[in-house]
Amino acid sequence: MNGDKRAQQVQQMIDYLVREVVGRSGVRISADMPLVSSGLIDSMALVNILLKLEDVTHMRIPAGKVQPKDMDTVDLMFATAQRVGKPRK
Amino acid sequence: MIQTLLWVLVATLLWVVAWTRRSSNARHSLLLLGSYVFYASWGIGFLAVLVASSLLNYACGLALRRKPTLVRLWVGVGLNVLLLGLFKYLPPALSSGSGFLGHIVMPVGMSFWTFQGLSYLFDLYREEELDPSLLEFCLYMAFWPTVLAGPVCRLPNMLPQFRRAPVWDRDDISTGFSRIVLGVFMKIVLAQLLGAGLTRGAGVAAGFDQTRGGWGGLDVWLLAVGFGFQLFFDFAGYSHMVIGIARVFGIRLEENFDRPYFSLTPSVFWTRWHMSLSFWIRDYVFLPLAAMRREVWWPYVVFVLSMTLFGLWHAAKLTFILWGVYHGLLLVVHRVGQKLKRRISVPWADPVRGLLSWCATFSLVSLGWIFFRATDAGQAAVMLRAVVTPSQYGHSVLPGDSYVVVCLVVIAFFAYHGVVAILAAAKARYGEEVAGDAGAFGTASEMTTFGAATIVAVKALDFFGERLWWWAAPTIAVLMVSIGAAILRHTAAISVTPFMYTVF
Repeated sequence: MNGDKRAQQVQQMIDYLVREVVGRSGVRISADMPLVSSGLIDSMALVNILLKLEDVTHMRIPAGKVQPKDMDTVDLMFATAQRVGKPRK
Repeated sequence: MIQTLLWVLVATLLWVVAWTRRSSNARHSLLLLGSYVFYASWGIGFLAVLVASSLLNYACGLALRRKPTLVRLWVGVGLNVLLLGLFKYLPPALSSGSGFLGHIVMPVGMSFWTFQGLSYLFDLYREEELDPSLLEFCLYMAFWPTVLAGPVCRLPNMLPQFRRAPVWDRDDISTGFSRIVLGVFMKIVLAQLLGAGLTRGAGVAAGFDQTRGGWGGLDVWLLAVGFGFQLFFDFAGYSHMVIGIARVFGIRLEENFDRPYFSLTPSVFWTRWHMSLSFWIRDYVFLPLAAMRREVWWPYVVFVLSMTLFGLWHAAKLTFILWGVYHGLLLVVHRVGQKLKRRISVPWADPVRGLLSWCATFSLVSLGWIFFRATDAGQAAVMLRAVVTPSQYGHSVLPGDSYVVVCLVVIAFFAYHGVVAILAAAKARYGEEVAGDAGAFGTASEMTTFGAATIVAVKALDFFGERLWWWAAPTIAVLMVSIGAAILRHTAAISVTPFMYTVF
């Protein structure tokens, strides 16, 4: 995948996490920051993040193939999308 | 009883011998034999079902490893549900007890190891790289510390540990024994004390079972809180013992409890109570279901469905289903509240908000235990009616002893954790002095009296903490003998009860 496009998608995901999930200003999230194992995001947020990931990557990600540990960091989220996602029709 | 103890002894000896073997096949064979000997002491028929379930799941796993399709997964899930249903849910449904099915008894721990088998199938469907041999898989299913009542293990955590060459680690052994001692104390002393009470008829069990209605509002609150703590000490005590036993042999199991009664929200509570099962439900039920549809209301429906399954896992009883639905609704209310909170700013300081949040969570979780413990839905309804009827607060049917025991245990529990938290904070603050590096914090003359006193207290705590056997073992022994003697003076109504979760 084009590097610039990936960087754009990662930034889009980070912006979403800061705005919608953490909901506090001043919180910085990096692409390799643990989110699930650190308790920053819970089960409900995980569902919303999975759906957002589908929108950002334009892929259909079967939730039955995803574990919370696969979504622990933003980098892992994109790796998971790549591994199990299928292009949207 | 003696026969069971002998079997346990044989199983333990086999384990100790197994741990000295270098060959992994010999070690696994002996460990499995020890586990089967232990499990067979509860009934040879139970062992047959466990072996059948292990073979069934292994075969389904082989099919999924070749091709992880949804059809193969559902065949495996269906067979497990069928087996569990046959032993767990069908016999109570045929309440008349007539015919062959009416006489079926559920093998002890079946709900736990069936869920372990299911998680293996789900993990393979998710294309986890798992390649257990039949021996390793059977050992995973029958692992003797966990076979009776969990924690619900996962193969990705257990397999590397089974394969690792055994090492006797001093830290593992001392931590393991400390947790066993703590677990015994929680079960034999605290859970027993709350359940049975100090005098006949003064325990939580008698309050629920022998009191023929007429509870006052305060009585119900006391029974709800008392039962919640009894269950916590019983199951968390059991979990400490099991995790400790495995730790002695160098195996680290999933944790089951993490100070659940300090949770500030119902969502946090469910990440701290019976964690191995609640994370199982989250990973294999909630997450796949909730992400299926995009409607805003759908995850809320899935919350209720998942928690209903949580309740149903315990038994096919209306009270457990109600308990699950109740917690599902609590989670939904909490989520909706969180959304509203983002729109409405409440000008309360964080400590006030935290305290109110804790009070609400503690009260609501405690009330939920009424569903869990009540004999039937009718009893739960009568008790909850007493809670919401102001005129019911004017009288009480429980003996004064009940109030004294429950209040003392609960206050002691929070006081203990409070002191530990204060000392931990003090230790962090004066850590450098405690380590002997006074220069980093200031000279001795600059230090306050309070600071010096704290350092002495922390040093003393460290000293005695490292020498647990000097004081903890004799204290617990004396307490257990005292409680045991108190129990023996009474009749069977308050005899020592088995672990509560071994019935599920």
